[in-house]
Order: sequence, then structure tokens, then C-alpha cells
Amino acid sequence: MSTLKIKNILVKEVMLKIEDFPVLFEKVLFKDTLETMNRFRLGIACIVNSQRQLIGIITDGDIRRKLLKVQKPFSALFVDDALIHSIRNPITIQPITTLIEAIELMGKNQIWDLPVVDDLGTLVGLLHLHPAIQVVLGVK
Amino acid sequence: MDYKSITIGYGSVTKVSIGKRMPLVLIGGPCAIESRDHAFIMAERIGEICHCLNMPWIYKSCYDKDCRSSPESFHGIGIDRGISILADIRKEFNIPVVSDFSDPAWGGITGEVCDMVQVPAYLCRQTSILQAAAATGRPILLKKGQFMSPWNMKNSVRKIEAAGGKQILLTDRGTFFGYNMLVNDFRNFPIMAETGYPVCYDATHSIQMPTSMGSISGGQREYIPYLVRAATACGINALFMEIHDDPPNALCDSNTVLDIKYLEHILRQAKEIHEKRIELLEKYGEDNVHIEN
Repeated sequence: MSTLKIKNILVKEVMLKIEDFPVLFEKVLFKDTLETMNRFRLGIACIVNSQRQLIGIITDGDIRRKLLKVQKPFSALFVDDALIHSIRNPITIQPITTLIEAIELMGKNQIWDLPVVDDLGTLVGLLHLHPAIQVVLGVK
Repeated sequence: MDYKSITIGYGSVTKVSIGKRMPLVLIGGPCAIESRDHAFIMAERIGEICHCLNMPWIYKSCYDKDCRSSPESFHGIGIDRGISILADIRKEFNIPVVSDFSDPAWGGITGEVCDMVQVPAYLCRQTSILQAAAATGRPILLKKGQFMSPWNMKNSVRKIEAAGGKQILLTDRGTFFGYNMLVNDFRNFPIMAETGYPVCYDATHSIQMPTSMGSISGGQREYIPYLVRAATACGINALFMEIHDDPPNALCDSNTVLDIKYLEHILRQAKEIHEKRIELLEKYGEDNVHIEN
């Protein structure tokens, strides 16, 4: 793929669709969130409100940090609302951002996933680093 | 945190609200309805004390005791007579009443008359009972099972909510510590309060020693005042106590019910501690020790 063509690729062309990554509603329990992340084999879950606006994310890193900080038993942690353990103001991008900009943002913040939201904050997709790199490398 | 308050009482009875920064509420009465006369005497005497202390209260007594240890134990006065007595107490004293029910089929009639319905501790995770309680449309007094962790009570809360229940009072009545022994873990109050619903302390069942006397339960009622003071300082919204005028001859829970002669002394202290706690909340704000991120 030519350099010019790569520069013009937009996030919306590469992002995972809503049905292809964990999207959960605000009352979801922490345990159910972990199971959903396992099922999708992704290190992120997005939590949305009833209008499907993104209100929090949970990542593998957040879970690692929680396990070290929260001293409550697993049985108590599992029944917590996932939202209380989530990042409430995550870094996001818009679907019309260029892929290169998005990858640079991911590199700068050392993150693997970027939730994609529209002007109203509605979650419309997820940019995962692996498919993004595959596109840049011309593998996909 | 979205703290909910609940209001108990329909029709012309005095409505009682339970929630954050609201007066401490007593839920009290004899464990079982023993007779119409006895139920009336107890309502009158407890009412006088609460009136004197200006403490809102709800009359509690049950028509069927389905979790007795022995087949010889008093099982209750029966649903028809019991419900009729509770209805008369409401009318006569103008106070809300609560009774438990241990069969989903009894939910309807219990909720028709009682201002609040109680889910017994041993049945606190039974879906059919929780659904029947929600179906009454009345506020629900939900006891934490002695075998349940406080965080797992959220599952019971969610079952009630899924069935349409909107008003719940989560109540701690002790947790099994080995066999025949209960202890209170006062972390239970803030943990159960995370559901957003108010919390209650059941003092007289907390000092119970379940089935410790072979075919009946024992208890150490001498600890009731200590535990009431501690629970109130922790920040409960209501206090539950079973009260009797002649504990040795009580037909149910004779080893744990509080003799009414001690009631005023205990309630006075609980009320003052509760008011002081609200005052401290206003003065110093909410507890602010959090897990560092």
C-alpha cells in the first residue's frame, strides 16, 4: 500500500464493530465483565449508558492495578458494579480521525485500544492496535 | 452514591420514612403474635415509649414461625387470625405493621394488610419469596442470611428489583461464626449501603445462639445494649428488636427477646447516638478514607 493511501485511511475503516468487542451496560457486575472480556479475547471492555454513550472502560491494566490495591475478597470484588472500577474519562477518538493519528495517540499513551465515539459521545467502535498495524503493514 | 429513602405506611396510618439523615426508626414487637390481647398490650406499651421519645416506629410480629428448631415449638397463630390482628393494630394505633412470610403463596395477603413485608433471613436468596415480596408493592424488610456475605446481598436486591420492587431495607441479624454462634461484622452496614438502600440492625437476633440448646435457640441478651450502641454509631437507619413483656414465657425466641422494661433505656441511647452521628456528618462531612488509585 502506498504511503499516501495509508495516510488517508480513517479510523472508521479499520475499527472493530460494536458486536465484535465487549460493550456492557452500567449495571454490569465486575465478574460478568471479566467473562465477557475473556470471550472476546480482548483486554478492554467499554461500559455505556442507556443512550449507548461511553461512560467508562476497564482494561487488563486496570484490573492488575485493582488486584494490588483492593484488598477485599474476590467474592466481594466480583459482585461490585464494574463501573466503580472503570476509568471514567478514557482517551477516545472519532471515526473520522486518520488511522496514523490514532496510532500515534496510542503510542504516546502506551495503550492498545481506543474507543471510537461520535460527536454525542455515543460508542460506535473500537480501534484495536493489531488490526490497525496489519493495515499499515499491508497485511490486511 | 445515590442514597434512596423508603416510606412505610399506606392509608391513614402514620407514615414512617427511613433513610440517610432521617430519624432513627424502631421496628419492634413480639417475635410471634401470641394472642389478640397480648399483641394489643405490646403495641400500646411500645407505642407509649416511642411516643415519649418522639421516635417513629413500625409494629413487627409474625403469624407463622416456619423456621423453628423443634416440631413441638409454637408455630404461630396462623395466617387468618394473625393478619386480622395486625389489621386491627394498624387501625387502633394508627401505626404501620410488618410481618414476615415464608411461603410465596402468603405474599399476597401479607402485603394486602401489612405496610411492609419481611423476607426471613433463611430465605433471603429464594427467588420465589423475593419475587412474591416485590409483587406486594410494599417496602421490603430484607434480612441478610446468617450464611450470606454482605456483598452477596446485592444479588437478592437485584432479584427484587428485577421483579419490580423499589423499596428495600437491608438488615443485619448476625453472621454464623462456626456452629450455634453468631457474630456481627459491622462492615456489613457500609457494604450493604453500597446498594443505595437504607440499612437496619436487628439486635435481638444478632445475640441469638442458633439451636444452641438442642431443640431451641439460646442467646446472650445481656449484650444487646452494647451492640445497639455500636451499630447506631456505625450509621444504621433503623433498629429492629423483638420485645416482650414476659420473656421467660414468650412463645417464640424466649432466650433473645428484649424485656420491655429495658426498652426505653436502650432506645434513648440509640436515639442520642444517632442524632450525634448526623450532627457529626453535618460538621465534618462524609467518611473520606478511600482506596488509593
